[in-house]
Amino acid sequence: MADYYAQLLLNGVVAGAIYALFAVGLTMVYGVFRFINFAHGELIAWGAYLTLMFSQVLPFALAVVPSMMLVILLGIGQDRYIYKPLRQRGRITLLIASIGLSYLLRNALRLIWGSDLQTYGFEAARGLSFANLIITRTQLAMVAAALVFLGFLYGLLKFTMLGKSLRAVADNMDLAEIMGINMRRIGLTVWTLSALFASAGGVLIGMDTNLEPMMGLTNLLKAFAAVLLGGAGNIWGALVGGLFIGVVENLGVAFFSPGYKDAIAFAVIILILLFRPTGLFSIIGGMR
Amino acid sequence: MDYFFHILIIALVYTVFALSLNLELGYTGLYNFGHVAFFGIGAYTSALLSLAGFPVALSMVGGMALAGMTGALLAVPALRLSGDYFGIATLAFGEMVRLFFLNERWLTKGPMGLPGIPRPLGIQAGVSGLPLYLTLCILLALAVFLGSYRITHSPFGRALKVVREDEFVAQALGKNVFSLKVRIVAVGSLLAGLAGALYGHYITYISPSDFTLNETILVLLCVVLGGRGTQWGPVLGAFLIVFFQEFLRFLPIPVDFGRVVAPIQGMVYGAVLILLMLKRPEGIVPEYKV
Repeated sequence: MADYYAQLLLNGVVAGAIYALFAVGLTMVYGVFRFINFAHGELIAWGAYLTLMFSQVLPFALAVVPSMMLVILLGIGQDRYIYKPLRQRGRITLLIASIGLSYLLRNALRLIWGSDLQTYGFEAARGLSFANLIITRTQLAMVAAALVFLGFLYGLLKFTMLGKSLRAVADNMDLAEIMGINMRRIGLTVWTLSALFASAGGVLIGMDTNLEPMMGLTNLLKAFAAVLLGGAGNIWGALVGGLFIGVVENLGVAFFSPGYKDAIAFAVIILILLFRPTGLFSIIGGMR
Repeated sequence: MDYFFHILIIALVYTVFALSLNLELGYTGLYNFGHVAFFGIGAYTSALLSLAGFPVALSMVGGMALAGMTGALLAVPALRLSGDYFGIATLAFGEMVRLFFLNERWLTKGPMGLPGIPRPLGIQAGVSGLPLYLTLCILLALAVFLGSYRITHSPFGRALKVVREDEFVAQALGKNVFSLKVRIVAVGSLLAGLAGALYGHYITYISPSDFTLNETILVLLCVVLGGRGTQWGPVLGAFLIVFFQEFLRFLPIPVDFGRVVAPIQGMVYGAVLILLMLKRPEGIVPEYKV
């Protein structure tokens, strides 16, 4: 029985690593621009589907590259043509535009690839087992990729000038601009990173399960739960939040009907709003 | 003629739905992106009660009451945070309610849906009951319209507008912002419940797929296109959207392309939302500012 729970825990950590990727991107955009990008989920889904498209002509590992680039363009484009002109108009216009954009992108996805489930068509590989725990190669790849991306982010934020200015902007945008930080460059960096992480996570999720047009929305809500847990704008908080959501969701399978797996993240959102609206780590503050 | 009656009924249901969202989104500035949840709760509660043998009118009141209560219960935690957070929390709530409809088979029969919902006041099912049902819808929509007018032109309604423009000013004026918001969400949810009940008893069959994010986007579009925070905007928006949607059916679209119609329609709605925000955020009927 202990093995059973340990296995669920492991699955949870794997899933949580991916949610962390989504949540970090979402919270970074929030940290700089102070709004929740409803279309973030669509970046996830487009990353997965574009890779599906390119993988029909390229080997899988190469197919990821053009699809990530396109998603980054999409992320930068949405800011340049939609969010930027609206930034001074108040938050409700921005939110309605971003929910409109997410609806537009999701339906475009359905138009091109249809509403049915799709897969990358990998053969089901036998899992590797360690001490009664089973982990598939895909899951290993997921954890490794998440570690690489998050390690890259850590290095960027901690050791480069760009990362330092990013943190400064998240802390106080006006002050940072007065100090001569190039806001255009910061904006581009944030959107690039957020889109990159979203598309990478989307591909990994697609490898593990399957692709469907609603995957963006489901994962957006989980990422948001993680963001709330960590305190909005707090990057490392979002990371821990993502892991937490993944673990709780998978352990929850032992207690609730699997039909409610997705509802657990939503319940976390409501509970957090009830008891700790500023996030679990708000006292510690954390590095932005 | 029957078909025209059908369109009018759907348009009136959406009018009630849009008016209820407008109270929250237009007048108070609360971005409720899960409004369909209350539409669904109203529809399911009323359908289940009437199928269990209660008089239909009473069931509809029950549906409204439960929707209103759920709205107030959700509002208490969700309103602790303003703005974007409320938007996502309500979006998540909408999905949660849909999952509930889908999974609690003992109550809602899951994806099978509930067939054979009776019409109220002895109105016959099928085409012969259409004129009477239309009359009922007109009366109720008129009542909601006038009620919404009364609310928004009362001191309570003016306080809501102050909350929307600047919460701190509202507080400085001695208004209890939290209580104002909870009350308007309760009223909005109650009216959304009425719209849902009207929908369920009209169509006589409901399933979880009737209450998805698509319906939220649709009603959001009705409000935003017509004009947020105005009395006539949501009405105009609802009629425009419903007529546009029904008009599409008459286009000579080859059968092969039937599959792509729904996504294209969704893309148009998304694009219209974005363009409205960029070019004309006030909608067709601009709000009169003193």
